[in-house]
Order: sequence, then structure tokens, then C-alpha cells
Amino acid sequence: MAEGGKMAAGSGKMAAEAAVGQVVLPGDVLLLPARPGHDAEQLPLGSEAAPRGRLLCGPGLRRCAAGLLVTKCGLLRHRQPGGGGGAAAGGAYWVDSQQKRYVPVKGDQVIGIVTARAGDVFRLDVGGSEQASLSYLAFEGATKRNRPNVQVGDLIYGQFLVANKDMEPEMVCIDSSGKASGMGVIGQDGFLFKVSLGLIRKLLAPKCEIIQELSQLYPFELVLGMNGRIWVKAKTVQQTLIIVNILEACEYMTSEQRKQALAKLSGN
Amino acid sequence: MATAFKTVEPLEYYRRFLKENCRPDGRELGEFRATTVNIGSITTADGSALVKLGNTTVICGVKAEVAAPAVDSANKGYIVPNVELPSLCSTRFRSGPPGEEAQAASQFIADVIENSQIIAKEDLCIANGKLAWVLYCDIICLDYDGNILDASVFALLAALKNVQLPSVTINEETGLSEVNLKQKNPLVIRKHPVATSFAIFDDTLLIVDPTAEEEDLATGTVTVVTDEEDRLCSVHKPGGSPLTGAKLQDCITRAITRHKEVKKLIDKVTKSIKPN
Amino acid sequence: MEPGGAAMAAAGCCLRPFSCERGLLSRPDGSAAFVQGDTSVLAGLYGPAEVRGSKESPERATLEVLLRPKVGLPGVGERSREQLLRQTCEAVVLGALHPRTAITLVLQVLSDAGSLLSCCLNAACMGLLDAGLPLSALFCGVTCALDAQGAIVLDPTTRQEQEARAVLTFAIDSTEKKVLMATTRGSCSVEEMQQCLVAAQRAADTIFQFYRDSACRRYSKS
Repeated sequence: MAEGGKMAAGSGKMAAEAAVGQVVLPGDVLLLPARPGHDAEQLPLGSEAAPRGRLLCGPGLRRCAAGLLVTKCGLLRHRQPGGGGGAAAGGAYWVDSQQKRYVPVKGDQVIGIVTARAGDVFRLDVGGSEQASLSYLAFEGATKRNRPNVQVGDLIYGQFLVANKDMEPEMVCIDSSGKASGMGVIGQDGFLFKVSLGLIRKLLAPKCEIIQELSQLYPFELVLGMNGRIWVKAKTVQQTLIIVNILEACEYMTSEQRKQALAKLSGN
Repeated sequence: MATAFKTVEPLEYYRRFLKENCRPDGRELGEFRATTVNIGSITTADGSALVKLGNTTVICGVKAEVAAPAVDSANKGYIVPNVELPSLCSTRFRSGPPGEEAQAASQFIADVIENSQIIAKEDLCIANGKLAWVLYCDIICLDYDGNILDASVFALLAALKNVQLPSVTINEETGLSEVNLKQKNPLVIRKHPVATSFAIFDDTLLIVDPTAEEEDLATGTVTVVTDEEDRLCSVHKPGGSPLTGAKLQDCITRAITRHKEVKKLIDKVTKSIKPN
Repeated sequence: MEPGGAAMAAAGCCLRPFSCERGLLSRPDGSAAFVQGDTSVLAGLYGPAEVRGSKESPERATLEVLLRPKVGLPGVGERSREQLLRQTCEAVVLGALHPRTAITLVLQVLSDAGSLLSCCLNAACMGLLDAGLPLSALFCGVTCALDAQGAIVLDPTTRQEQEARAVLTFAIDSTEKKVLMATTRGSCSVEEMQQCLVAAQRAADTIFQFYRDSACRRYSKS
């Protein structure tokens, strides 16, 4: 039923496993295999060996009576629990979708623009529906006396401490041990631009080919925010803009096209 | 206790009633509120009617004017409906230009007039290409307690049945129109459209004639307009919970019985007025 | 442009050729242009974005639909269609996931050659899909015209609409093919309405298959 992404024209029901890597649409229902020990009928081979993992329902999915209800259009992904192989009931399912609008998620590292100073907090535009707040104490080494030097218009790389649908998002520029670990005010110069959230996730993936290929060209600084913002700084403005153009074009280029474009550049 | 529960969990409060097939105001799910109609309440209008559906009160006044017909339809008059939801009828409306609900209701009434052919526009023609009647049908809500569409369609129908137009003749010599206010004729009402509205509760339950409270809690509404030949003049479902064809059929069946009730009521009232 | 005509012809269904282009505007969060025959509508979607003033709801996202006619300013007719479109979208958008935000859908009519409302519905759904908003189901719009002989014409042109005795437009949801929205012009019998509904539900299959194919094509690129 789920072969080659072909399902009944309307919304289909299919086994979650069979749909991994396929395009799913809102309204589709993913049937979960029965838990080991409960119902042996639908169990695939080798599941006895798998630990009974917890099932995580990631972005673009909701639980419903029959299994998982897809709420976003995209490719279904699955990660095995704890890196172990073969588990059917556990792991995490999510939908990899193309989106432009950012919705704050706790722990996400993003680039914000300071829009105002209101007493003890800064207001940051992070591209979501609401401005995020950032306390002046949430910087490495900041105390009541020693305030960080943050001006309106500055770029800040930080992470979300509080982000849920009912509350104002709150950002910090320190990790749990009080260290900046790369976060804070982004230096002067450089260039900020926006790309789709899907491209950012691709760039942030470990061993991303695009980043590796670009780093062969010449040295540059790069900050990637989960909210689709990218900040780039190279030795000259020209070099910065080359990186920007390549990254922007990555949205539409295949890897072959990109390699060709890069080969041309490195030849010069 | 019950009032507190109602304030805190209005939906659950309703569900408990609906489970027992009744509503907090004592009605069954398929029961309309008490409907009253008063015809000719505005003496200065050419036709008028006041309709009450429980607390919902709607008044319709028809004002007739003469004007030149449009060039492309020389033998047709005009009917111009307008629904007003002034701020006095409910706290949900603000004064000022008509809001979305009022505009949508006006459009709905215009559609019903057009679809049902309640009056043949040719009947409004006085002299071909020269003079025709314009009927301004102003529907004003005085008290908003839900189901404004049913009340409006009913008020419009009753008011149009009440319209008495003076006879107008065109003087051959002068080319001017002469109005004879002594001789008045009623309009020819070709069809009797009657609207029946439903609210959808929890995607499955259909309740007829919802109050304002029920409309707010409901997940969708449907309005079905039928005429005396049981034809559909309008099936208006502006979004909301999805319904199957069978459920829609249930709505239509109820609408057809409602049509008979309303027709009986309107005939009774018009008959009681006639002797005067 | 991704044509849906080939699949449609194979299904033996009498919809006009339709096609859709997604993500063609750079500023909005989602955009789609839907073309049905010579009718075309462009949808732009913003959201979940900051909400203005009194429209804020603590329970769910506030949906706003703006329908811009091809020429002139929007009037009462547009306002009534905006209400239909808004309430149809509200039924499928999981607005509770984004409370205190606004979702704005702007529909610009590019050309009207009949079945405009169904084209608006389809453009709206593709726009919602492109913006990646959480939806519980998809929907599509189908317009049916009943001609003088009582035959059903799906997806009528302006001329067919004018000659028709009745024109019915339905929005069908993708999960159970139920009626999300219905609006009619002209009068018809109850049986005729039910026949139109069945025809619309059948046509909906073709459109949903097109939605799926177009999504597959889009995601197979990356």
C-alpha cells in the first residue's frame, strides 16, 4: 500500500515503518506496530531482540487513537532508540518539512537581533511570533556591576531556556555550567541573511558536505541559527558575499551543481 | 453549583445535557424555540414584519422606491437586502461600519432572494426600460441570541408578503409617472423560502435553532433553505466540522418539516390580518 | 508549474486541467498559485506571526483571510467568501498549537474563468501546506454545475456557470471525504444535491492524488 509513496488518493493509513523516507501529508495516519508481548501479529522479524524503547513523537506528528497523525507535509524520518538496531516499537519519528517561519523550541541555538532594552532584559527578534527576552545576567561573567555591553541592533547568538506555546520565549547566552561556549554578542562586520529552516538543519547536520566543501575555499567565520539566520564573515567583503551566495543557492542546487560551482571558484 | 459549573466548563455542561437528548433551556435537540411573527408593525414602511425566535428578535422593513431599471435588464426591478447587527443587539458587535458577520448575513439573504426567486424581478417592472420598483429590505436585529439567519429569512418573507405597492401609471402625454396611492396591490410572492439552521456539536451531534451560547460552543453551523416544493434554495455550511452526506440529508429532512411549520404560521398570521 | 492534467485525464474525470506552483513568493512564509483551466488564484500565507490588538486569543491562533479581487476593492461578496474560507481553514488548522499568534492568508485572484471559490480553496490549502502549519487534514474545493437537463458539470467555466440552473461548491476533507464547506447558487432538488456531492467526492480523490504527487515531487528534489 505504501510502496513508492503511492497511497490512496485521500489520506491513507500505513505502517509507520513502511513510510519512513516517504513523503507524508497532513491527515495521514501512521500505524504503529504492536508492542512486543502484546500482539505478535504485526511484529517484524528480530523484534524479540529489541529493547522495549519509548516512542518519541517528533515535529509534524501527533498521537491519535490509531497511531500517529501526520500534521505536516514532508519526509518521514525515524531514529532507532539508543543507536541500537532493530527496535520497532521505540525510537523517534518525525517529519522533515520545508518551512520558513521559525517557532521557538527549547534548547535551540538561534541568532537574535536586539530590538530594545527594557530594564533588566533585552528584547530580541528571533523570527518567531513573539520577541524573546534575554536577561543581562545571562552572559558569561556578567554580574550586577559588570554588565555586558549590548546595544540595540546587535546580533546575539544564544539558546532558548524557555520556549513553549503559552509563554514568552526566554534566551540565555550561557550553558548550564555558566560558560559562554561560543554564545554571546556576535562581533562587528560580517553579513546576516536568512535561509529556509530545512537548509539550516541540513547545514547543521554532522559532517555536512556543504560546510566541508566551503571550508576548502578560504577561511571564514560562520554562525548558523536554528531560526534560519546565518552570519558569515570572511577576510574581505567580496569573499563574504561569495559564501553568502553559495549558501543561498544551496537551497535549490543539487550536490553536483554545487560541486561544479565550487570547482569554478577554487580555480580562480 | 450548576451555574459555577456552567461558567467553568461550559462545553462539558452542555455535553451532559446533550447526552440526555435535551438542552439546558428544556428543548429537545430537534426543537425550535417559540416562534412569533408580527406583520405590519411599522406603519410608515411599505411592508414590515417582526420575528421572534426565542429571544432573538429581528425586524424587517421594506421601503419601495421607483428608479430606472438597469440597461442590460430593462424589464427587471431591484431587491436590495441589508442586514444590520447594531451594537445594541449584543455585546459582540461594535458600532461603526458593518462587521464581517453582518456582511456575510447580507450576502446570504441576497443569495436566498436570488436562488429562491421569491419575487420575480420582472414583476417589479412598471414600464419597460423606463421605470421599475426598487425594494430596500432592511433587516435589523434588535436582540441577538443566535440563529440570526433563520429569523432574517423569516422576517424578510413575512415583510414582503405585507408589502402593498401603489399603482403607478405613466402618462402617455407628459411622459411623467402618476402614482395612485388609493389603489394598492400586494406583491406576488412566487416562492416561500424558509431557512433552518443547525449547530454541530463535537463533530457529530446536530442541534437545531442554536442560541448564541450554543453557536459559540459549537464546532460548526449549517443552514438549509427550502421552498414549498421541497427544493433546496441554499445549503450554506461555512466551514466548521466536516459532515457526511447522510448527516446533511438529516438536516434537509428536518428543514422540510420546519418549512411546513413556518408556512402554517405565516398563513395563519396573514389570514388574521386580512379582515381589517 | 506542476501539471495535474495527465493524472486527471487518466481518471476519466471532467475537471479542467489544473496545476500548482508552490513557494514562488519570497517574502511570505508560504505561498502557492493554483490554476484551474483559465482560473488562477495566488495565495500568500504569514504565520504564526505576531497578533495585532484585540484579535489575540489565548486559546488558539487567530486566522485571518483576505480575498483580493482581480480589479477594484473587495466588497460584500468577497467578505462573505472570506468568511467561508476562514472557517474552512479553521476546521483543519491545529490552531491550539500556536495560541496568541496570527495566521494571515491573502488570496489574490489573478483571473476568474469560473469555479473561483473552489480554486481559492485549493490555493488556500496548498498555501497552508507550503507554510508548514500544523493541519489535521487537507481539504480541496470542487464546484459542480447542474445544467438545464440536470446533468452535472464539474469545475464549470464562467459560461457554464451562467447557463447552469444551480451551482454548488463543496470543500471536501481528505480523511473521510466529509463536507467541510458547502454553498449553493440557484435551486435544485435534494437528490440532485446528493448526486453533486458524490461527484465532488469522487473528483476530490483526483485532487488529493495531485496534492500527494506534487508533494512527492517537491521533496524528492532535496
